[in-house]
Amino acid sequence: MTQRNVAVVGVGQLPYRTHHADRTYVELAQDATLAALRHAGLAPDDVDAVVFSLAPTQFMGVNDADKWAVDAVWAQGKPFMRVSTGGATGGSAFQAAYQHIASGMFRCVLVVGADRVAETPDAQHVLNLIWDRFYEHDFALNTVTMTALAAQRYMHRYGVTEEQFARVVVRARRNAAGNPNAHLRKPVTVAEVMDSPRVSWPFKRFDICPRSSGAAAMVLCAGDMVARTRCTRPAWVRGASGISHSVFMGDRMTYWSDSEFADHDGFHHAAWAAYRQAGIVDPLRQIQVAEIYDPFSSFQFPQLESLGFCGRGAAAAISDAGGFDLDGGMLAVNPSGGTLCANPIGVTGLVRAADAALQIMGEAGANQVSNVHAAVATAIGGSTQFFTCTVLGDDHA
Amino acid sequence: MTTTQAVDDDVIHGEWHVRYTYSVGKVAGTFFAALREGRILASRCSDSGLVYLPPRAYCERSFQPCDGWVEAGLAGEIEAATIVTAAFEHLPPPPYAIAYVRLDGVSTAMVNFVRGLALSDVPAAAARLRPGTRVNVVFGAQRAGRITDFHYELA
Amino acid sequence: MDVFVLGLALAPARTRAAGERLEEMVFTVTRAALDDAGVERAAIDQVTLAACDELDGRSISSMLLAMPAGAYLKDEMKCTDSGLTGLCLGATRLAAGPFGLGLVVSWNKSSTAPFEDVMRMRAEPFFTRPIGLNAAIADGLFAGAVAAAYGFSEHDATRQVLDNAARAARNPRAATKPAPSEQAIAASPYLAYPLRQGHRAPLSDGAVAMVLASGDWLARHPAARPLARIAGLGWSVASYQLGRERLAGLSSLHEASSRALGMAGIDLAALDVLELDSQTGWHDAAYRRVFAAADPAALSPSGGAFAQNPYFCTGLVGAAEAVLQTAQRAGPVQRPRPAWAAAQGAHGYAQQGQVVAVFERV
Repeated sequence: MTQRNVAVVGVGQLPYRTHHADRTYVELAQDATLAALRHAGLAPDDVDAVVFSLAPTQFMGVNDADKWAVDAVWAQGKPFMRVSTGGATGGSAFQAAYQHIASGMFRCVLVVGADRVAETPDAQHVLNLIWDRFYEHDFALNTVTMTALAAQRYMHRYGVTEEQFARVVVRARRNAAGNPNAHLRKPVTVAEVMDSPRVSWPFKRFDICPRSSGAAAMVLCAGDMVARTRCTRPAWVRGASGISHSVFMGDRMTYWSDSEFADHDGFHHAAWAAYRQAGIVDPLRQIQVAEIYDPFSSFQFPQLESLGFCGRGAAAAISDAGGFDLDGGMLAVNPSGGTLCANPIGVTGLVRAADAALQIMGEAGANQVSNVHAAVATAIGGSTQFFTCTVLGDDHA
Repeated sequence: MTTTQAVDDDVIHGEWHVRYTYSVGKVAGTFFAALREGRILASRCSDSGLVYLPPRAYCERSFQPCDGWVEAGLAGEIEAATIVTAAFEHLPPPPYAIAYVRLDGVSTAMVNFVRGLALSDVPAAAARLRPGTRVNVVFGAQRAGRITDFHYELA
Repeated sequence: MDVFVLGLALAPARTRAAGERLEEMVFTVTRAALDDAGVERAAIDQVTLAACDELDGRSISSMLLAMPAGAYLKDEMKCTDSGLTGLCLGATRLAAGPFGLGLVVSWNKSSTAPFEDVMRMRAEPFFTRPIGLNAAIADGLFAGAVAAAYGFSEHDATRQVLDNAARAARNPRAATKPAPSEQAIAASPYLAYPLRQGHRAPLSDGAVAMVLASGDWLARHPAARPLARIAGLGWSVASYQLGRERLAGLSSLHEASSRALGMAGIDLAALDVLELDSQTGWHDAAYRRVFAAADPAALSPSGGAFAQNPYFCTGLVGAAEAVLQTAQRAGPVQRPRPAWAAAQGAHGYAQQGQVVAVFERV
């Protein structure tokens, strides 16, 4: 459908940690940029335009910090814009970079961002302030309680247990042990997850992602420029969609709703739009890796179902049987360890796309899945209301 | 807004207080005025037939202005609930329960606290807040025209 | 490019839109743009927003505002630089496909938030914030730099304010406010020398929505009548560091302008209209120098930021004015049959980022 084939030819990430005390915000973004350019074998002058991935700035405390980063990411004198869609920011920024090239207006685009969520002790306060000031802000809504509400509904609908969510955490940590960039790399057991302190029912502390600092960058270019790069096995962008839903969670959980809040079914719309572009009709047969946005243990099941990998309510049993494990399963889900093991909010969606691209490139190291021809990367933002879905593949036919 | 700064060895401390004035507008103003009288008014779109709480100026689905008001029932069903057991800064001291409740006669669910429920045994309390559970709206004695003028209690 | 403006709407310009919640303002302007284009929301397949969380007073303002902007279950994305950047992103998305019909919506209730406090918190915390920088101070630095580089005087800055205000007085879409006088400007206090309070364009509340259509969509809907073709888009950014050359050189404006004109395949002299986002009289004098090759009568017939200045989306208001000119709908400020009309917008400290959009009559 689009005018041009677009390829990912470079990926740069810094290790995700609670703090990066040795570098400022802009230096983090710069280091990721350098890593991505080196990976692609390109220089800053080769980049035609820059998209900056930056979610709410209150976490790191400088409004429009993208403007501060302009010099650090070699954007001076270039088209530059910041994309911001809450937790989906990295997914949207990647898609904006893709659209820059697919439009025919640019040949080579850098998408980069950084975050330092632990720069403030008030992160969940910031996340309370995202709610409507008149009707919802007073009720202790934050990303944890909002998600707990959806998880409770999902458990009620499909008979899923806290232990089944705990097994998702165990798998994520096992995968993260092989990813040098992951923030939480220590394996845990189901019992340890169940015994961790209760936060907001059904969540315990280990069901929830860490607050991470770090940076990520990707270099995308038009198909006819790939030969100029170091990249011999690019990850082609095959489909992209970002669907938005109502902020009012209470509109999405009654008989009169168009959709079901607990099912993350914005992904039903986003995934099938992206699959249509990518020519995917049977996701489970055609896609080998899913890098999905899962800051909470409850996020995988409804998301995998909405992405078409199994029927409603079926994901938990497949997970229990090892179907989503790194090797030998039916689909490798978050071989990187996913968002449960690192969540630098402003770039988390970009990290999903980056880890998916590395799997296509065959450069995922210890966590490389064999025979990857297509991968899907997602992100979620707002009140579980912004859903981005990107399909990457090893060819562009 | 004020900021304070102090220099440590390896960080600079900062703080940020920003004041805002959010316009209430006519729709929310009507809703809050009714709350003072102990009534809950929902907005209705005649095009889609949907009745909204919180009230809306327009219908997201028909993309037409909401053109009527409906008095919501003072009882309804839980659609989703959780019990918060962790202390978050600037939020109430735990434990407490919140729920999205669809009031009778309304198409959408609205969040508020659920009070009057023993929360010491969290899984047991959670079992009493399953989707489908009936609750009543209870107004406080003092009404300020704020959403916190009322809460939910199990029926 | 093969992207067209099918319809548009501007919220009524007011110093403070007190009786409306922000989402009511956004719904009203979006609904009006759809009506102007003669299409229903159902026909839209992508929405592009441009907004500033801090100026909206919300951590993620699009959570509440994506739906009143028409994005319910649509492909939606938000950029945060400026309203005119939103037009660039929206048109780019439409050109990339697979979309046919898009909305671009931007707003700024500048009366909601403490504007200069928000601007102050844009300063990095190590070197700049302890000294204190905000929009007025950055614009004062800019005014001093262009005064030194080009010999502008306070009189020149005052002259541009009065000229713009005179044009704004004829613009029915302007916010109503008392006309400034030379004496009042001269008597107004210095904010950051040589910038006086009276040199600044007063802030107002406003919103803009545009319906964009791809050439393919138009071919499939032959009855639709676009208002203009988006012929060229250019955007660029300069250094964060406010040195003399950075301030007076206006490099990002030169780059944005040459990209947009190059894409349209025209030169400055061909422009019949160029709406400027001049935040102060000093800016207007400096921008007019950059655009010296254009017909002086083409510059800001609407009165520009002095007509209305919903700061974040003032550039997109200018784009709407330019499109109204190509469609012969500009009313009392209409120029005779413009073939080419453009708009410039700026963002960041001392206009770090610059955007130019060129429209062609269809």
